[in-house]
Amino acid sequence: MLKKCSQCGLPETYETIEFDGQGVCNICNQKSYRDGAIDWDARYAILADLIEQYRGKHDYDCIVPFSGGKDSTYTLWRLVTDFKIKPLVVQFDHGFMRRGLRENNLRTFKKLGVDVLSFTPNWKLVKRLMLEALVRKGDFCWHCHTGIFSYPMHVALRYEVPLVFWGEPSSEYTAYYDYRDDEIEEVDEERFNRFVNLGITAEDMAGMIDADFEFDRRDLAPFTYPPLRSLKRLGYRSVCLGSFIPWDVRKQVGIIERELGWKGDQVEGMPWDAYPYEKIECFMQGMRDYIKYMKRGYSRVSQMVALDLRNGRIEKEAADRLVEQFEGRKPPSLEIFLEYLGLTEDEFNSIVMKTVVPPHAPDLASLEVAPRTWDFDQWYREAPEDRGIPCKPGACRTCFDCA
Amino acid sequence: MIGILDIGMGNLGSVWNATYESGFDPEIVIDPDDLDQIDHLILPGVGHFATAMEKLCEMGMVSPLRSYVESGRPLLGLCVGMQVLATEGTEGARTPGLDIIAGTVDRLPVNPPFRVPHIGWNAVSAVRDHPVLERIKPERDFYFVHSYAFRPVDEANIVARTEYGAPFASIVGRANVLGCQFHPEKSQANGLRILENFCRWDGVC
Repeated sequence: MLKKCSQCGLPETYETIEFDGQGVCNICNQKSYRDGAIDWDARYAILADLIEQYRGKHDYDCIVPFSGGKDSTYTLWRLVTDFKIKPLVVQFDHGFMRRGLRENNLRTFKKLGVDVLSFTPNWKLVKRLMLEALVRKGDFCWHCHTGIFSYPMHVALRYEVPLVFWGEPSSEYTAYYDYRDDEIEEVDEERFNRFVNLGITAEDMAGMIDADFEFDRRDLAPFTYPPLRSLKRLGYRSVCLGSFIPWDVRKQVGIIERELGWKGDQVEGMPWDAYPYEKIECFMQGMRDYIKYMKRGYSRVSQMVALDLRNGRIEKEAADRLVEQFEGRKPPSLEIFLEYLGLTEDEFNSIVMKTVVPPHAPDLASLEVAPRTWDFDQWYREAPEDRGIPCKPGACRTCFDCA
Repeated sequence: MIGILDIGMGNLGSVWNATYESGFDPEIVIDPDDLDQIDHLILPGVGHFATAMEKLCEMGMVSPLRSYVESGRPLLGLCVGMQVLATEGTEGARTPGLDIIAGTVDRLPVNPPFRVPHIGWNAVSAVRDHPVLERIKPERDFYFVHSYAFRPVDEANIVARTEYGAPFASIVGRANVLGCQFHPEKSQANGLRILENFCRWDGVC
């Protein structure tokens, strides 16, 4: 049985978690500090100054990296409506965007009247990156973690727009940056290397896949953080809106639904009625969550009820019921994922089992399968001849295809 | 232009890289005449007080450095580059320094179990605000490697202290001159911030 926070229920296998003498976790204690000790009026004044410092001086006032999820949508809405800012919206397409999300995005862009750039990296490379990150870290999302945070910085340099606004600060959900330090979380290379990139830079990755995979080193540029010197010469600031206004997901979802017609969606493995607004942007979300459950013994259901427990928006019993009922179901997208990487389920399981975080000991024997979401049949399927990841001629990774 | 003075015994490369990565275009300065084009001067140093002063004398740098300081342009001394700002050093033999900030440089006292040299990360506690310390939080760690420490005559010239068995001056400053006993170029994010703040400083406190 995993030790869990007496307040929010997050377990000891959660990243960066620590418990105090009363068994309350540091994420809850950060939140108490956030609400009780941070001077949010002063923070708001800093935000207003920051925006004025950059306003009108470049082709755009700022860059807003944008997935179309609740946080980036709220960030864009707030900056455009509250601060009358002219942003360049930058979208990094991880390859798994859903129809509902695309419709949300189109509606948001049209209603707000903003310029948008979208970028999609090379899918063949992405598949190889997914495999490498899965094998090494039990987290196949390296291309997304890194691309989302590095690509917009390249755009900032190319368009010479020094101010970049992200949404939710990481202190909301982990302690890599602690609200109790009372600092503005800079979304910079230090943060990128501290946790975003899983400890693997693009240069590392090139060396890891080079022996068996044919690629052009330039393909990795979107995942490479730009040189500090270039960013410094641009005079960049890269910060989260949530460092200046206290983040309140449920309230913000209500606002974007009302103001922008933003719609939630079914997410694999989640309670669809209780949590239709979280992580709607990726049809591999169910897989990501499933791996988390295998590795750490909890999934997004626990994270979502933890947030509500912390905010006093759900009773403990109701939260426990949701976790009991929904957590640990196998996502239908597993089949699609295995096709991409050319793995069998047994091979996949054996990879993930090597990354289990103790003291969690997974039991995969009796897992139910979660229902398909409404758009499952629209998700990209690899044609049989394209499945898996070919090795370059004369080389063979000790891969599952060839072994 | 940012100048980095090369007296042949500093870790020039680290200081150059740190300022370059922060977006500046530092120039290495060897000739006293080159000081005319410099608006911010860094005096790095690793080594012995007397040797450093000997090099500065050989280069004909002593009087030009004093004139540079009198012009009001910012000067940053690092480690032995900070120590030579003093009136006198005692490392080896008593040796006159540049006498830009009145004081002496004495060996760290022996305070068991604190070994000399003082090597490693240690907290720097500012005793007053300074533009070069902007956005550096109190008690942050910086990287030290030294056996001697600056003792200013006027306590008002101490900007920060560090405890190592006993307190010593880890940053000294007077008007447009600042000296750090630690190595900001080796001190990660906070060290880079000090160098960047210095390169943007107008020399006014």
